[in-house]
Amino acid sequence: MMDSGREGLNARLDILWMLVCLGAGILLLRLLHIQLVQNVYYSQAAERNRTHVLRQTAPRGRLYARGGEIIATNQAVFSLIYLPPSKEQDAGTLERLAGDLAPHLKQYSGKLLQGLYRAIREESAIRLAEKLPPKIMFKLSELRTLYPGINLIVEARRQYPYGASAAHLLGYMGRMDEASWKRLKGRGYRIDSWIGKSGIEKVFEQDLRGRDGGIRMEVDARGRLRQILESIPWTAGSNIYMTIDWTLQKAAEEALRQSTSGSGAAVVLDPKTGDVLAFASLPDFDPNLFLQPDEENSPGRAVPEFNLALQGAFPPGSIFKIITGAAMLNEGRVSPEDRVFCPGYFELGNRPFMCWEHKGHRWQDWLSGIAHSCDVYFYKMGLRTGGELIERYQRMFRLGLKTQLGLPGESAGRVFGPAQRRARGGAWYDGDTVNLSIGQGELLVTPIQMAVVIAAVANRGTIWRPHLIKRIEYEGKRPEYRQEPEIAGQVPMRETTWELLQEGLERVVSDGTGRGVQIPGLTIGGKTGTAQNPGGDDHAWFVAYAGRPGEEPSLALAILVHHGGHGAEAAIPVARRILQAAFPQSAKAPIRLSTAPEGAAIPVELMHRSVLPQVLR
Amino acid sequence: MMLRTDSAGMRGKVDWLLIFAAVGLVLIGSVMILSAASPLLRYPQIVQRHVMALLLGGAAFLFGLGMHYQVFQDQSRVLYALTLAILVAVLVFGETVRGHRSWIRLPLFAFQPSEVTRICMILVLANYLDRRHKQIERLGTLMGAIGVAVPIVTLLLLQPDFSSAALLFPVIIAMLFCTGGSLGHIASITGCAGVAVALTLLESLSMLHPEWSQNSGTLQFVGLLSRSNGWLAVAAAAVCALTYLAYRASLAMRFRYPPLYYWVTAGVLVSGLCAGIFINRNIKEYQRNRFLVFLAPESDPQEAGYHVNQALVAIGSGGVTGKGIFSGTQSQLGFLPERHTDFIFAVIGEEMGFLGAAAVLGLYLLLMGRIVHAARLSRDRYGFLVCTGLTAMFGAYFMVNVGMCLGVIPVAGIPLPLVSYGGSSLVASLWAVGIVANIYSKRYAFA
Repeated sequence: MMDSGREGLNARLDILWMLVCLGAGILLLRLLHIQLVQNVYYSQAAERNRTHVLRQTAPRGRLYARGGEIIATNQAVFSLIYLPPSKEQDAGTLERLAGDLAPHLKQYSGKLLQGLYRAIREESAIRLAEKLPPKIMFKLSELRTLYPGINLIVEARRQYPYGASAAHLLGYMGRMDEASWKRLKGRGYRIDSWIGKSGIEKVFEQDLRGRDGGIRMEVDARGRLRQILESIPWTAGSNIYMTIDWTLQKAAEEALRQSTSGSGAAVVLDPKTGDVLAFASLPDFDPNLFLQPDEENSPGRAVPEFNLALQGAFPPGSIFKIITGAAMLNEGRVSPEDRVFCPGYFELGNRPFMCWEHKGHRWQDWLSGIAHSCDVYFYKMGLRTGGELIERYQRMFRLGLKTQLGLPGESAGRVFGPAQRRARGGAWYDGDTVNLSIGQGELLVTPIQMAVVIAAVANRGTIWRPHLIKRIEYEGKRPEYRQEPEIAGQVPMRETTWELLQEGLERVVSDGTGRGVQIPGLTIGGKTGTAQNPGGDDHAWFVAYAGRPGEEPSLALAILVHHGGHGAEAAIPVARRILQAAFPQSAKAPIRLSTAPEGAAIPVELMHRSVLPQVLR
Repeated sequence: MMLRTDSAGMRGKVDWLLIFAAVGLVLIGSVMILSAASPLLRYPQIVQRHVMALLLGGAAFLFGLGMHYQVFQDQSRVLYALTLAILVAVLVFGETVRGHRSWIRLPLFAFQPSEVTRICMILVLANYLDRRHKQIERLGTLMGAIGVAVPIVTLLLLQPDFSSAALLFPVIIAMLFCTGGSLGHIASITGCAGVAVALTLLESLSMLHPEWSQNSGTLQFVGLLSRSNGWLAVAAAAVCALTYLAYRASLAMRFRYPPLYYWVTAGVLVSGLCAGIFINRNIKEYQRNRFLVFLAPESDPQEAGYHVNQALVAIGSGGVTGKGIFSGTQSQLGFLPERHTDFIFAVIGEEMGFLGAAAVLGLYLLLMGRIVHAARLSRDRYGFLVCTGLTAMFGAYFMVNVGMCLGVIPVAGIPLPLVSYGGSSLVASLWAVGIVANIYSKRYAFA
């Protein structure tokens, strides 16, 4: 049957068979290489394919006022995220998605589309919109079924329950900018992180910020979320307890708002420690606005960011007479009984300097001079003391230096005197001394500086560094930080000088320009001031300390009403309201209550870990 | 020789090892289809169709096993006519799916005739070569064999089913080779195909790197040829002239080779040139992209590299034991395309790991080894040739499909026979296995 050729044919068949085996062998080697040698590489690739890690912002530390009021906290909000599908999406779907989302998110669809393309390009999940209110969330969850890749997650959002209160102090949050990114890169921040942009939020950014958590999600090729693989818990930020007395803060803001110009600054200090009890600056803003989802839609929102209490440097006007008085009395150039006749003006050479009371104060000694703020008394006594000395006392009270409150942007003000003039290459004239004596000229001070000065008068010589923080409570085992009072300087004056100074200031309130602030049952010493302002209405000043009779003063304050007019008329009502709030039993004011704010946020601790990382399916 | 003792073969009529290999592959395939297709919406339909294909495939196997294979030789002309008729029918009545007119829809089910016709072609070609085996050394026989295949290949290309048509080539070559065809002839045909493929590759390369073709005269010339018939004629004439010059030069140097060699060389080069340019002009964009991706996987023209990369990731992440059936992330989450059909090997690699993939390799080797074994034992040359052709067919499909999943061969839209989902392929493959089993069972002339 088999012909002779069959043997040869079988040999060729063997060659075919060997070729097949050779091919299979090559495939087997390749298989070994991929599956066993490169297994780790490809496993990671598969893992990257199927998982997305979404960072979840940790709740920031809360800020507490002195009485335990929560003045900055966190709220549960929803973020809309987009998980890019692994396959190319056609442009039509993306455009429709962007178009459908735009009205809900109040963003332009073009901008949304850019975000979608960025997510696809970088193959990572992005947040399309953050901090969405629940109302929008429900509408979006309908869209979610139409477009794969769209998902909602819960996050913590900063919330300021009292709105604009203490806004300049607390600061606000904003997106990372280029400069901050360079500084904060590699410290657990992301390019899309929110950071404190001013105030306490900025200064204590790294304490307030916790460690972000995250969720590892399994997604399919179309970007649909399949399941949560892992929740990495976050660590909440550190809570900061502030020295601010919330009742005083509210009272100060309220009073400033109702003042003649509705604009100004109020600083209240504890003269025994340097604690800042209230720190208000108007106009203010609501820091919650910066966290709104449509924040990016309103570029150039005009925000009164200027903090008058800290950054505003103004001529002190008559409140400077405290320092002029300190210099002339302590140096013995003037005896308190020395009298000056005030005809309503003073002539230096042939140049007249007016007293604010054009009718004249007649005969004035120290007590009546300060009580009525008689300019002519201080012109003459200032000339007798000399510019050099007055300048030295300015420096003794640390004018011209930052108080080191610790907030960014503080102004140092400006010392005015012969030494300063010489340093700038100018000559000092007696006319300058006259101007300086009543706090005019080139002298500039900030409200916080004047609060420190009046506090030093109240405690007889100690210049405290004013501070805002009582303690910081860290998460974990790190022991809490406590802020002890710090002395920035001493004013070495004779006890008799302090007596005279305080007596003079108390006379201002009992029988002088500051009568309007009188509150029965309180010993108050203060000084009004009206700073002339070539550019507009005068600025009204009032500085004061107060305490129970027979006790050391327990409160010092400085009020500036911006373009408010006369100190007695504009600034004193503000001070009076703050004092009434501080000493409620003295006036007929309601008993002070620590009330919880209405519509309080869900504390993040209650939102709890088990609830928070859940993605809404 | 045919009475060589083979204790297993002597005892039974049925080659149980062959059946074991086939059943093993079908089982692994079925499990993988169940797993890989499970996230799809039409999963119930897929399962239903697969079960039906299994039943039909079993019937086809029994049909192949039960019917004497020599009937196919006796009725060779009928078979050839039927094959051509069915391929024409698909072009006329067929349904177009994804740009291929390759489906015939019947009242109860639809099937792809190309899967059956490739086996028919083996049966017809085996008959032709068997009858001409005494003139096998002649060029005429070779041309005749090609003449048998050309109508089928043409009809396949009209669908167009480039992959199936291209995979007939190794089958034809293997059958010619194993019938004892002249090595010179085979080399000529292979050379011609080689030139055609090389031209296509060159053209694709110049598309991948336009800057190369600016510096390379060859690439620019290839581009010129693709565009202009005149230049093609000039090139062909130049090739002939150069060959003639080479002939004269060798005579002058007193080398004496028959002039035929030179004419064959020229013919091979010219026909290869023409075929290559023809492919260049007619190749579909996505097909060229597959070439490009193979040449440079990272270039990823229009996401064509996506398939290969995802398949590699799937297999590579499987490791030794795999991620478990129904647990492969690449397949279950939809990253792997065509996962229950052309890329099922990647799913095996991912979910069953190296053990599963190596098992498929082993079973395939066993299957082909048994077919080769049946070829050796077959009672006549026809059976031998049929087995040879089927070995080449299974081998080519296996290597191209697995090679594609492993990234060593360009992406080709062909299934892994016996394993991939696809009723027509499964039924045809099981029929082929049945024919081999029949050839084996009829190995004794006296049986």
